Amino acid sequence: MENQDFYEDLIEYDLNPFLLFDSNGKVKSYNKEAEFLLNFVSIKELFQLAVSNASTNFGFNQKYISLKYNKQSYYAILVGYVSEDEIALRLYKVVSNKVNTINNDKLKLVNIFSLIELSKNSTLLSSDLKIDELYDISIPEMKININNFLLCLNECFIYFSNDEKISLQVQIKIGEYEIIDNIKYKIVSLEFITNRDVELSNEFEQKASNANINIFTNHNRLNLELPIIL
Amino acid sequence: MKKFIAQSEASKKILNIAQMSSSLPVNVLIIGEIGVGKKLLAQNILPDASYFDAKILEETLMNGKFNIDEYKELIILNIDTVLNKKEFLLYLNGIKIVATSNRNLTDIESQFAIKIDIPPLNQRIEDLEELKKVYLSEANDIYNTNIDINDLAFDLSLNGNTLKNSIYKTVSMRALSDDDMMESLEFFISNKFNEDKDYRELLQYFEIPLLNAAKKRFKSQLKMATKLNLNRITLRKKLEQYFQETPDNRLGE
Repeated sequence: MENQDFYEDLIEYDLNPFLLFDSNGKVKSYNKEAEFLLNFVSIKELFQLAVSNASTNFGFNQKYISLKYNKQSYYAILVGYVSEDEIALRLYKVVSNKVNTINNDKLKLVNIFSLIELSKNSTLLSSDLKIDELYDISIPEMKININNFLLCLNECFIYFSNDEKISLQVQIKIGEYEIIDNIKYKIVSLEFITNRDVELSNEFEQKASNANINIFTNHNRLNLELPIIL
Repeated sequence: MKKFIAQSEASKKILNIAQMSSSLPVNVLIIGEIGVGKKLLAQNILPDASYFDAKILEETLMNGKFNIDEYKELIILNIDTVLNKKEFLLYLNGIKIVATSNRNLTDIESQFAIKIDIPPLNQRIEDLEELKKVYLSEANDIYNTNIDINDLAFDLSLNGNTLKNSIYKTVSMRALSDDDMMESLEFFISNKFNEDKDYRELLQYFEIPLLNAAKKRFKSQLKMATKLNLNRITLRKKLEQYFQETPDNRLGE
């Protein structure tokens, strides 16, 4: 019995998400990482992922597959079942060895909304895109690498330029922080919402990374998050 | 410095973008057809910057004759004419650049955080009307005329460039006195002698405008002949000679 607890704890404290479903797709058991993951992806979607990648007969199937939920990317999954009653899914995280640091030389104190306005106006001069804007104007002036920020933001507006309508929400994330060089920063989030699935290209991610922006999608949403450096 | 005219919605937005980018440490690329006002807009963004034609600057840079350290900001005209654009921009790294181009440049657009597309003048009706007024008023001042805007024909093929040219040309021609006309004709014909034209060949420069004016005014050959006090057979011969008029397409009688 002690041995059983030990294995359960191993799974519980694993850095990779683990979920166990019953045959109807209900979650029977999950670890901490999976709990976090479920904030960004539905149980149904993960169950589908498990079922569609299960081996033909009882057993385990490992598959290399590129997935991204919220900020986190995954490079592989493991699906296993030994009876008709339950199926297990484990996702393998991509761990970045990039050091989270900021090049202060290129940062300039600026009003983020004027940059958004500038990017929007210059990229959408001949577009009919309507944007519902919801801005938290209490966001203070913050230090931004203006050039790289604009290049990334331009890409976003260009991406949506053929849509009819999107909404853009800019706000401070409550209770979330980013730690860079041992300093804790609040986060400002720019969320673009449209009515179709949003997909990111590598180039897009590169531009975001150059601007210290975390970029990720969730179905019809594109999120940009950056630290508020004062 | 001349003002970038912004009466249309598009131009107001453009001017707003220009003013905002003026104070930011980013490169700006201005794209548009010839004569839409790219250089003016660039000068609006960097009023104190030196400007260079890209092709000439490229050669100077390659020869090592350009002291980059002297410049913090630069206006570069027609960057599309540069052969190796990436290398060219690498040389200018650290300088704030406002560049103009007649076409989209996908290979280097990522070096410009702000890209401004200026639409052609015929898509900016309010600007066009304002520009017509400005050029006409300038031309009327210079030639001491009082020509009305409705009496002018405009050429927009190269946007502001040909617009200005066509207005000045029309106004200057309308301003000619009899003596001016004679003098300019004399100058013109004197040049034609260099081309070895004889009397008969030179006559067309008098007769074609004369016949054209009469055609427009009198409409029919009969009336033309009467008003010009010219034999109808002679008139028909002249029309056939200059306009290849046959009985099918000649003026109604």
